[in-house]
Amino acid sequence: MHIMEGYLPLTWCIIWFVISFIIVAFGIYQIKKIVDETPESKALLAVSGAFMFILSSLKLPSVTGSCSHPCGNGLGAALFGPAVTAVLATIVLLFQALLLAHGGLTTLGANIFSMGIVGPFVAWIVYKGLTKANISSTIAIFFAAFLGDLLTYVATSFQLAFAFPAPTFGSALTKFLVIFAVTQVPLAIGEGILTVIIWDRLKAYKPKLLDKLGALAPNEA
Amino acid sequence: MKFDMDYIAHNNELSETNPYFKLFLTIILLIVTLALDNLYFDIFIFIVMSIVILAIAKINYRSYLKFLTIPMAFLVITCIFLIFFFGKGDVIYETGIFGIVVTTDSWHYGIYTFFRVMGCLPSLGFLALTTPIAKIFHCLDTMKVPKILIEIGLLMYNTIFIFLNEIDTMQKAQKTRMGYNSYMNSMKCLADLISNIFLRSLDKSETLQNSLDSRGYAGELPVYVPPKEE
Repeated sequence: MHIMEGYLPLTWCIIWFVISFIIVAFGIYQIKKIVDETPESKALLAVSGAFMFILSSLKLPSVTGSCSHPCGNGLGAALFGPAVTAVLATIVLLFQALLLAHGGLTTLGANIFSMGIVGPFVAWIVYKGLTKANISSTIAIFFAAFLGDLLTYVATSFQLAFAFPAPTFGSALTKFLVIFAVTQVPLAIGEGILTVIIWDRLKAYKPKLLDKLGALAPNEA
Repeated sequence: MKFDMDYIAHNNELSETNPYFKLFLTIILLIVTLALDNLYFDIFIFIVMSIVILAIAKINYRSYLKFLTIPMAFLVITCIFLIFFFGKGDVIYETGIFGIVVTTDSWHYGIYTFFRVMGCLPSLGFLALTTPIAKIFHCLDTMKVPKILIEIGLLMYNTIFIFLNEIDTMQKAQKTRMGYNSYMNSMKCLADLISNIFLRSLDKSETLQNSLDSRGYAGELPVYVPPKEE
């Protein structure tokens, strides 16, 4: 969920910008290292970023009829790792603000934190943890996408509760969680199923590529 | 057209004016609006920027309304939510349903948030609707934003439009073959589409790299800046 332009008070805008800046800077440093080693990967990164943007512009079919789109966090994080995904998400969010009026410039920091950092990071940990435990990568990717999506909304709820702690932080958080996170559960399951189908196709067509990116479970490689 | 905003950004009365000016004006206006958090100032900015967008940049009012509608819809919902479910303090209105009340606090939150967003949206719109993305990236480049970020951004921007055309073709092909006619079917179609796009994107990235290499790409995309007209 994009927090819209002007929704957060100035102090919180600055706080989220600072936090996101540190992590994105680390991601840029990592990308620089990757590009220095293999200059060809720049085009791959750019195209993957475009892929993430395109994903967010496709509508996910949902039962309730509410409009929602896949965020591709799980897929991105499982393929490229969280630091790189954070940088790509930063550019994607900037494009979304300027091309689609989703999100905004002042809330960019907060949006990067919830969608570009928390989501992919959770997805990556879940994915790596499950594949390490010898669980098939198809099941792992479902939980990665599901939890990555859900935790993004939980993070947004936290951010909003920090900004509007009325009457207390705790009660505001519960309300935001009920509104955002609980309604998001069916959508997160939808994204999980979608990601599993995509993952199946990828495993069938390009197993070598997934292996090269180190994205497959050890017993499948 | 899906990205009307990109077309508008390239075709309006202000798209050739100095991008630095537009970028800084937007950022300063946004920060001032947030910092002052004053209802009258928010309305003032909303009116002034709307006049700038409609009268000076000569952007079609329909496009501008379209730009405003989606965020506005969300805004109204969230502000109603803020007004009815938040805050403590003196009760100023009782709905009589489940003890839901409007308090001074929640009223304050809801109204201030609503007008803050109202003030900020046209400022964002000013930048988004009058400045092409490539120019914004060029500005950022001269402001010491890491080169690698700018390059990936620019390459990405070009690729997005190639993908959009492909998706359009693919979706039409799927729809003419009974795609998207039930929930599970649309899930499958969408997954087909996305995995296909992903595989295509890998091929594309290889082609892109080859075409860049064959034109002497050494990690920098030089941009032609036309000399100022006297």
